[in-house]
Amino acid sequence: MAKFLLLAFRNVFRNRRRTMMTLFMVGGGVAGLLLVGGFFSFMFWGLRESTINGGLGHLQVFSADHFNRDEVRVLDTGIDNWRQVAATLKTGSHVRGVAPRIDFYGMVSNGDKSSVFMGSAVDPAAENSLGFTTRFASGNDLDSKPGGEVEALIGTGLAKSMNVKVGDGLTLLAMTSDGALNGVDVQIVGIVHSGIAEMDARSLRITLPAAQRLLQSDRVTNLVVGLDNTDNTDMVATELTPRLLNLPQKLVLKKWIELATYYKQVRSLFSMIFIFLGVIVFFMVLMSSVNTLLMTMFERTREIGTMLAMGTPGAWIVALFMLEATLIGILGAAVGLVAGNLLGFLLNHSGIHLPPPPGNTVPMPFKVLHVPSLMIGSSLLVIVSLALASILPAIRASRLRIAEALSHV
Amino acid sequence: MEEIVNVEAVSRSFPLDTSSAHHPSQSFVRALSHTTLRVTAGEFLAISGPSGSGKTTLLNLIGCIDRPTTGRILVDGVDTSTLKPKGMSSLRREKIGFVFQTFNLIPVFTAAENVEYPLLIQGVSSSERRQRVVEALESVGLSARANQRPDLLSGGERQRVAVARAIVHRPALVLADEPTANLDTHNATQLIDLMHGLNRRLGLTFIFSTHDARLLEHTERIVRLCDGEVISDQLQGGSRG
Repeated sequence: MAKFLLLAFRNVFRNRRRTMMTLFMVGGGVAGLLLVGGFFSFMFWGLRESTINGGLGHLQVFSADHFNRDEVRVLDTGIDNWRQVAATLKTGSHVRGVAPRIDFYGMVSNGDKSSVFMGSAVDPAAENSLGFTTRFASGNDLDSKPGGEVEALIGTGLAKSMNVKVGDGLTLLAMTSDGALNGVDVQIVGIVHSGIAEMDARSLRITLPAAQRLLQSDRVTNLVVGLDNTDNTDMVATELTPRLLNLPQKLVLKKWIELATYYKQVRSLFSMIFIFLGVIVFFMVLMSSVNTLLMTMFERTREIGTMLAMGTPGAWIVALFMLEATLIGILGAAVGLVAGNLLGFLLNHSGIHLPPPPGNTVPMPFKVLHVPSLMIGSSLLVIVSLALASILPAIRASRLRIAEALSHV
Repeated sequence: MEEIVNVEAVSRSFPLDTSSAHHPSQSFVRALSHTTLRVTAGEFLAISGPSGSGKTTLLNLIGCIDRPTTGRILVDGVDTSTLKPKGMSSLRREKIGFVFQTFNLIPVFTAAENVEYPLLIQGVSSSERRQRVVEALESVGLSARANQRPDLLSGGERQRVAVARAIVHRPALVLADEPTANLDTHNATQLIDLMHGLNRRLGLTFIFSTHDARLLEHTERIVRLCDGEVISDQLQGGSRG
C-alpha cells in the first residue's frame, strides 16, 4: 500500500507544470470559498452581535399571553411582578444583567403635526450595564434619575419629520391599560440612529417610570437578559426555563435567534448564495479535472498497458488514478487554505470598508473570519470533486486493450 | 520434458476498420493462420520473421494479452481459451514475465522499485520482496544502480532492469518482444548473454521475437514465420519440421 501511495504521489509530480495549474485552480476554488464564506461569517457575526447589543439581548422573557396581545393596550398582557422575575433571572450563570422594557405605540405631536411612534421605555442604567449601544446623531442619553422633566430620545427620521432638535419639546399620547387616552410632555435630549432608516422614522425612547405613568401601569412588557457570551445562550436558557416555571405568572423565555427575524432572513439569503458558489466551484473543479485526468491517462497509455500486461488488476488501476486525483485534491486544498487565510489576513488589515447595505446608513468594514468548519468543508468539497472527476478516466484506463495500449506511441 | 506452451491450430484476424465491426461486408486481415507450436520447459526459443509476419501477435496470444480467433493455447497446462479476463490477468501475474522492445519501465520508480512491482501485485511480503529484488538485480549485474530512476540508466541497463523485472517472480515463462531492437551491438550482446545465462542457470523458459542475427546465433531453436504461418521450426544443428 505504501509503495502504491508512493507511485501515486510521484505520478502527481510527473508533469509539474500541469500539476501546478491544477493545484492553482483547486487552491483558487478553496481560497475563493474561504474568502467569501469568511466574509459572510463576519457579516453574520457582526449582524448577530449588533442585533444583540443593539438592545435585543441574548434572552427575553414575556408573559405567556404577550404574543396574543392587543397592540394598543400592550401592558394588559405585561409581566406583573417583574422585579421578582428579574431577580430569578439574575440567578442564572453567565447572566450579566436584566433590563426591564415596555414596548408601546402611540402618537407624537409637535403642536402642528402628529405622527405614529414605536416607543420603547427603558431603565438607562440597566441598559448601559448590559452594554447596549445607542448611536447618537446629537445630544445625550436619558437620565435615569427620577424627577424633573420627562426626557426622550427620538430617531433621526422622526426628528426630521417632526422638525425638532435636541432641547425641543414634544407631546406623547398613548392608551392606558383601562382604555383612556393619556398624554405626557417630553423634552428631547438626544437624536439617535439605528442604521435602519425605517426604524429611525418611528423610534422613540423614554424612561421606564415615565412610560408607566403614561400607560398607568407598573407592569413591563418584557425583560431583556444580557449574557457574558452569545455562545452561552442555549445553556443559560436551559438553566433558567425550569426556574421560571416556579413563578406565579406563566412566562415564556425566548432566545435572541427566535426574535431576530431580520438576522435570520439575511443569514438564509447569504447561505443560499454561498451554497450556489459552492456548487459552481464543485462543477468548475469537476469539469476541468476530468479533462486534465483524461489527458494524463492518454499520455500514460503504454505504461498502463504494461502494468495491465504484468497482471495488475483493473481495480488497482482505478484505485491508482483515484488516489492521484485525491492527492491533487488534498494538495490543492492545502494550497487554498494557505492562500485563503493569507489573503484574509491581508484584507483584514487593509482597512477596506464597503458601502452601507440596503436599508443601512453605516459603511461596513470588510473583514474575513477564519472559520474552521468552512476550511474543512471547502477542502472536502474539492477533494470529493477531484475523486469523482477521476472515476471516468480511471475506468477507461482499467479497460484499455493491452495489445493496443502497448503499441501506443 | 514438461510442456510449458501448447499452441493448437491458432488463427488471429483483425477487422480492417474497427468503426464498422458489425458490418456484413466487413473485411479482415489475418495476422496468424493455423499456427501450431509446442514449447517445453527450459527452452530458449526465437520466433523470427520479417515485419508483419505475426511474431508480436503470436507472443501476445501466448502471453494472454490477446485472444485467438480460432484454436486454443495452453500455458503451463492451463487452457487460456476458458479463462475470463480476471483469470487471464492472474495467469500473467503468476506465470509470465514480459520484456518489451521499448523497456516499458515505470519512469517514476527506481530500478529496484520497478523490479519489485510484479511481487507487489502478487502480494509478496515486503521482507521477501526486498530479498528477491536484490537477487534479481544481482543476477542482471545492476545492484549498484538499484536506486537510479530509468531516465538515468543507459538503454542496455534499462533492458537489464526489464529482464530482472520479468524474472523476479520466478515465472514459468519469459516472453520478450524484440528485446535487442533498441540496443547497440555491445548492449545487445550483453543482453543476449544475460538471457542465455539465466536460461541455463535458472532453467527459465524464454520465448522471444527477433530478426536480430546476433540473437539468433545464440538460440537453440528458431521458429520462422512468414505471412502469419510457420514456415520452419529449426534446432541449431538440426530441423524439427
